[in-house]
Amino acid sequence: MQWELETIGVTKRFGPVTANEGVDLRVKKGEVHAVMGENGAGKSTLMSMLYGLLQPDDGEILIAGRQVHFTSALDAIGHGLGMVHQAFQLFEELTVWENIVMGAEPARRGFLDRRRAIASVAGLAERYDLKVDVTQRVRDLSVGIRQRVEILKALYRDAQILILDEPTAVLTPQERDGLFAVIRALRDDGRTILFVTHKLHEVMEITDSVTVLRQGRVTERMATKESTPEAIITAMTGRSVSLDVAKGPATPGEIVLQVAGLTVGQGPKPAVADVSITVRAGEIVGIAGVAGNGQSELIEAIAGLRPGSGRVTLKGRDIASLRVAERREAGLAYIPEDRAATGTAAGATAAETLLMGRQGDAALSRGGLLNLPAISERARRLIAQNDIRISSERAKVGTLSGGNLQKVVIARELDHEAPLLIAEQPTRGVDVGAIEAIHARIVAERDAGRAVLLVSAEMSEVLGLSDRILVMYEGRILAELPASEATEAQLGLLMAGRTGEAA
Amino acid sequence: MNMLNAYTVNATIGGMTPILLAALAGVLCGRVAVFNIALEGKILIGAFFAIVGSYFTGSALGGVLCGVLATMLFSTILAYGVTRFRGDSIVLCIGMNLLASGLTAYLLRQIFGQAGVFSDPAIAEVDRIVIPAINTIPWLGWIFSRQTPITYLSWLLVIVVAIVLFRTPLGLRMRGIGQNPEAATTLGIDVGRTRRWTVIAAGALCGLAGAQLSIGTVGIFAEGMSAGRGWIAVVAVMLARDNPIWAAAVCLLFAIADTFSVQLQAQGLPNQLTDAVPYVITLVALVIGALRGRRRRMAPV
Amino acid sequence: MERLKSLRPGPVPLAILSGLVIGALMLLVSGDNPLVAYREIVEGAFAPRNWRNTLSWAIPLVGMSLAAAIPLRGGMVNLGGDGQIVIGGFVAAVVPIYLADAVPLPGFLLAAIAILCAMLASGLWAALAALGETRLGIPMLISSLLLSYPAIGLTSWATGFPLRDTSTGLTQTRPVPPGAELPELFGPVTMGLVLLTIVVAAVIYVDRRTVPGYELRMRGLNRRFAEYGGVRTERQALGAMFASGAIAGLVGAIVVLEVHHRFQNGALVSPSYTWSGLMAALLAGGNPARAVLAGFFFAALQTGGFAMQREIQVPRVLSMVLQAIIILFVSLRYGVGGGRGPKDRP
Ligand SMILES: Nc1ncnc2c1ncn2[C@@H]1O[C@H](COP(=O)(O)OP(=O)(O)O)[C@@H](O)[C@H]1O
Ligand SMILES: [Mg+2]
Repeated sequence: MQWELETIGVTKRFGPVTANEGVDLRVKKGEVHAVMGENGAGKSTLMSMLYGLLQPDDGEILIAGRQVHFTSALDAIGHGLGMVHQAFQLFEELTVWENIVMGAEPARRGFLDRRRAIASVAGLAERYDLKVDVTQRVRDLSVGIRQRVEILKALYRDAQILILDEPTAVLTPQERDGLFAVIRALRDDGRTILFVTHKLHEVMEITDSVTVLRQGRVTERMATKESTPEAIITAMTGRSVSLDVAKGPATPGEIVLQVAGLTVGQGPKPAVADVSITVRAGEIVGIAGVAGNGQSELIEAIAGLRPGSGRVTLKGRDIASLRVAERREAGLAYIPEDRAATGTAAGATAAETLLMGRQGDAALSRGGLLNLPAISERARRLIAQNDIRISSERAKVGTLSGGNLQKVVIARELDHEAPLLIAEQPTRGVDVGAIEAIHARIVAERDAGRAVLLVSAEMSEVLGLSDRILVMYEGRILAELPASEATEAQLGLLMAGRTGEAA
Repeated sequence: MNMLNAYTVNATIGGMTPILLAALAGVLCGRVAVFNIALEGKILIGAFFAIVGSYFTGSALGGVLCGVLATMLFSTILAYGVTRFRGDSIVLCIGMNLLASGLTAYLLRQIFGQAGVFSDPAIAEVDRIVIPAINTIPWLGWIFSRQTPITYLSWLLVIVVAIVLFRTPLGLRMRGIGQNPEAATTLGIDVGRTRRWTVIAAGALCGLAGAQLSIGTVGIFAEGMSAGRGWIAVVAVMLARDNPIWAAAVCLLFAIADTFSVQLQAQGLPNQLTDAVPYVITLVALVIGALRGRRRRMAPV
Repeated sequence: MERLKSLRPGPVPLAILSGLVIGALMLLVSGDNPLVAYREIVEGAFAPRNWRNTLSWAIPLVGMSLAAAIPLRGGMVNLGGDGQIVIGGFVAAVVPIYLADAVPLPGFLLAAIAILCAMLASGLWAALAALGETRLGIPMLISSLLLSYPAIGLTSWATGFPLRDTSTGLTQTRPVPPGAELPELFGPVTMGLVLLTIVVAAVIYVDRRTVPGYELRMRGLNRRFAEYGGVRTERQALGAMFASGAIAGLVGAIVVLEVHHRFQNGALVSPSYTWSGLMAALLAGGNPARAVLAGFFFAALQTGGFAMQREIQVPRVLSMVLQAIIILFVSLRYGVGGGRGPKDRP
C-alpha cells in the first residue's frame, strides 16, 4: 500500500553513539501515529531527520511513495512537514504573529505586510480554535499557549504531516485534553500526525498505530487497538519492569530543613511566593508540579544560588544569609537538575569534577594547598564504588554518557553525607536500569537518616519515591498530602492548579 | 558666530561619521548575535585601502570603493570564522584587530616605502558637498553643509538600517536569528548564510568609515589612525542595545563630548588630557547606562 | 555573550605552520625570499650573540603573556594591559624619585618599594574593570580596554608637564636615584629576569596546586558549575584581575628600573607587549606554563624580526602579522567539536 510517510533502514550516528539504526517507519495518511520509546531511544533524532534538521547516515525517507532528500528544514516544510519540538523553538521577544510568519513572511513591495500577516494568523487560529492573542509577545505567554503558537507555525505553512515531539511533557492534564482535541480536529481535517511520547496512557488514548523504538531500533509496530500496555512496555524496555520503588515505611525524625515564607522574585507574580516546607530526617519529601512552576527557583534559593527573602534553617541553624559554600558546609548536598550545565564541566577531569564543593575540606586541602594524592585517591574510590565507566580519574568527563555523568554527580553529592539531600530531576534522561539504581540509592539515603527533598516532573517518580508530596503551582505550594493517599488523577488536578475538585 | 567654533562643529560632525558607520555595522552584527569587536581593525583596513585606491586610481570614488571592498574581504575572516569554523568571535576579533594594525603597517612600508605616516599629493580626497540653500545660514550651514557624501550617506544609512531591521522580512529573520538561532533553523532559515552576509555587509560600512577617516578628512594614512574609534562604536552599540536610531543618538552625544574636548584644548588644556576625554565620557556613559539599565531596560527592541 | 567558549585550542603546530606559509606567500608577493627571511629571524633570535637581546625583549613580553593568561584561565579577558603596564612603569619611576627626596633610603629598598607600589597601583586599576562588571554589569572586555586611555593620558600629561625632566628635550621623568636601578647579575641574567622567573613559578604553582587555582580553572570551564560548587565568582574576578594587573605593573616597573631608568612617554606602549602577550595567552589557551612558552616564541619572532629588517630590509611588522595569523588559525579551532552545550533540554 501507499504510505504517507515511510523510512527504510534509516541510520544515524553521533560519533560512538548510534542514535538510530535501520529504522523502518510506516505512517498512513490521516492517522495519529505514536512513536514511543524511553528517554534516549532515538525518537527526537528520527524526527529531526524527517524534518530535515539532521541528515541520515544511511537509509531512505519517502513521502507519498517518493524518495526525498532534505538538506534543511525548508525542504521538509516544502514537502508538507511541520514539527513542534520537544523544547519549544520560539523567539521570546517577538510577537506571536512574528513568530509564526518568520521565514514565510507576507510582503508587499519588499516590506513586511504586517496587516496581512496578522489577519492570516488570526484567521488560522480561529479556524482551529487555538485561542491566542497574535499581537502579544511570546515571553508573556504560558506554556500551553506557547504550544498553540508552535502548532500554528506548522499550520501556517500548511503542514500535512505534523510531528509533535513529546508535546505533553510540559502540559497540565487539562491542557493536554485541549491538545488532544486539536489533534483530533487536525486528523479529521485529513492531516497525518506523528505523536512522540514515552507515556503509555496517551498512546492508548489518542493514537491509531504505534511504532516503538528501543536503543535506536524499531522493536514493535502495530495498531493501537490490537496492542496491550504490557506489550508496549516490554517492547520499550526489553523486559517487564515495575516502576514501583521498593521501600519500607519512613521513620521521620527531627526537622532538618525548614523553609518559612520564602519568596523569590518580585512583582505581582514572583517565581516563588511565600513557600514554607519542612523536611525531617529519614523522610523523602517530593515536590510535584509541571516544570516551570517555580521549582528550580525554589531549589536554587535553598542552595544559595539565587537570592530570596524568607527564612531557611538547616538543623536549626539559619542559613538564609550564608553563601553557597557555607551552606554546603552546614550540611547540604545537591543533585542539580541539569548535570551538564550545572553539575559538571565537560573539560574537567573526573577527579576535578568530583572535588567540586569539597575543595575546602581539611582532608583534601590545607591552607589553600590541594592535597593532590588524597584527591586522586578519593576520586578512584568514588569511581569504583559507584561503578562509573571511565578510563581513569584523569579522563575528562565530557565524553561520558548521560547515565554515567549522573553517577559522577550523585557519587560526589552523596559522598558528602550531608544531613540534607536535594535531588532535582535525578533521573532525567537516564536509562531505565540506571533509574532503578538511582531510586534505590535515594531510598537508602533516607533509611540512613537523611532528609531528602526531591523535585521531579515525572509524576510516577514523585509517587513512587516520596513519603510526603507537596504540589507546586505558579510559585506556591498548593497542597500537601501523604504519598500513601495520593493518586495520579488527584495529583494531576492539583498540578493544574485545581484544589476544589481534588479535595 | 565664532569661526573657530564653526569649524570645530563642522569637523566633529564629519569626525563622528566613522564612529556612526562602525556603530551601524556593530548593530547589524549584534542583531544576528555576532559579537563584533573587530570594528577597530576594520576601520583601519578601510582607511588604508581607501588611500591605496585613491592613490592608484587618482579618484576619491576609486579610493572609497577600494576601501569598502577590502574591508568586506577582510570581514570574511569573521564571517566564516564564526559560522563554518565555529570559532569564538572574541578571539577572532582580537586576532583581526592585530592583523589589521600589523598588515597596514607592513603594506605601508612595502607599497609606499613609508613608516608611520603617508601623505602624497596623488591621493585624491573626497570633496565636500556645499548645499547652497543652507550654506550661509549660521551653524546649520556648518553642520548640514560642507560635509562629505559619506557623511550624508551615513545619516541615510541610519534610516535604511532601521527600516531593514524593523520593516522587512530580512530584518525579521535577522532579529529572530539573534534571539534564537536554533528556532530560526527549524523554520528553514539559513542562519550561517544570513550571519555571513550580515558580517560582510557590516564590513562594507566599516570600509566606508575608514574611507571617511583617511580620504574624507585629512587625505593621509597614519599607522593606528583608527585610534579607538571602533571601540567607541562598540560601546555605542552596547548602550543602544542594537538599535540603530539609539546608536546614532549615542554617537551624537559622543560627538558633542568630542567638540567639548576640542574646546578644552583651545582653552589651553594639554592634548594628552583632552585626548582621553572621549574615552572617559564613554566610560561615564557606560556607568550611567548600567545604573539606569538596572532599573529598566533602556531602548525597546 | 561576552564569555569565551570553552578554551580548547586545536593543533597549535598546525596554526603556526599555516601562519608561516601565509607569511611566506606575502614575502614572495613582495619579491623577497621567504627562506632567507625566516633564516634571518631564527638567527636574529637564537644566535648566541643575540641571546641577550632576545631575553631582554622576552622579559616584558612573557610577563604580559602571563598577565593575560590569568583572567583567560577563568574565561575572562583583560584588554587593558597597556594602561596597567604604563601605570606600573610610571609609579615605579615616580615613587623612588620623590621618596629619595623625602627620606634617605638605600637603593635596593627604594627599588623594592617602587616595585610593590607599581604592582599595587596597576592591580587596583585592573580590578576597577572587574568591579564594573560585577557591580554594574559593564563587560570587563570593554571597560578594561577603555580604562587604558585615561591611564595613558594622565601619565603622559604628568611626564609632559609637572614631572618633566626639563634638562632633556624628551617627554620623560627625571632618572630614578642611583642605586634604585635593577642590577644586572651575571651574563644575560638580570634582576628583572629573576623577579619574573619567581612570578612565573608562583603562578604555575597556584594554578596547579592550590584551591584558588583549581577554582579559577573550573570557572573557565563552566562558570555555573563553579558557582554551584560554592566558588565566589565575583570576588574571584576581582582577584584574577588584580593579579593580572599587578603582573603588568611589575613588567612596567622592570622595564623602567632596568632598561630606561626613568619613565619615558610611550616607551611601554609602542612595542605592543600587551597585545603580543594577549596573543600568546590565547595561543596557550590560558594555561600559564604554555603562555610563558608562547610568549617566548613571540619574543623570538620579534627580535628575529629586527634582524630581518636590518639584514634584508623586510619590515619587522611582518612578525606581528604572523602572530595575528597564527591566532586566527588557532581561534578557528576554538569550540570545534569541543564543549557542546546540552541541546535537547526540555
Ligand atoms: N547532537 C547530538 N550529538 C551527540 N549525541 C546525540 C545528539 N543528539 C542525540 N544524541 C544521542 O542520541 C541518542 C538518542 O537521543 P534522542 O533522539 O534525543 O532520544 P529521545 O528523543 O528518544 O529521548 C541519545 O543517546 C543522545 O545522547
Ligand atoms: Mg527526545
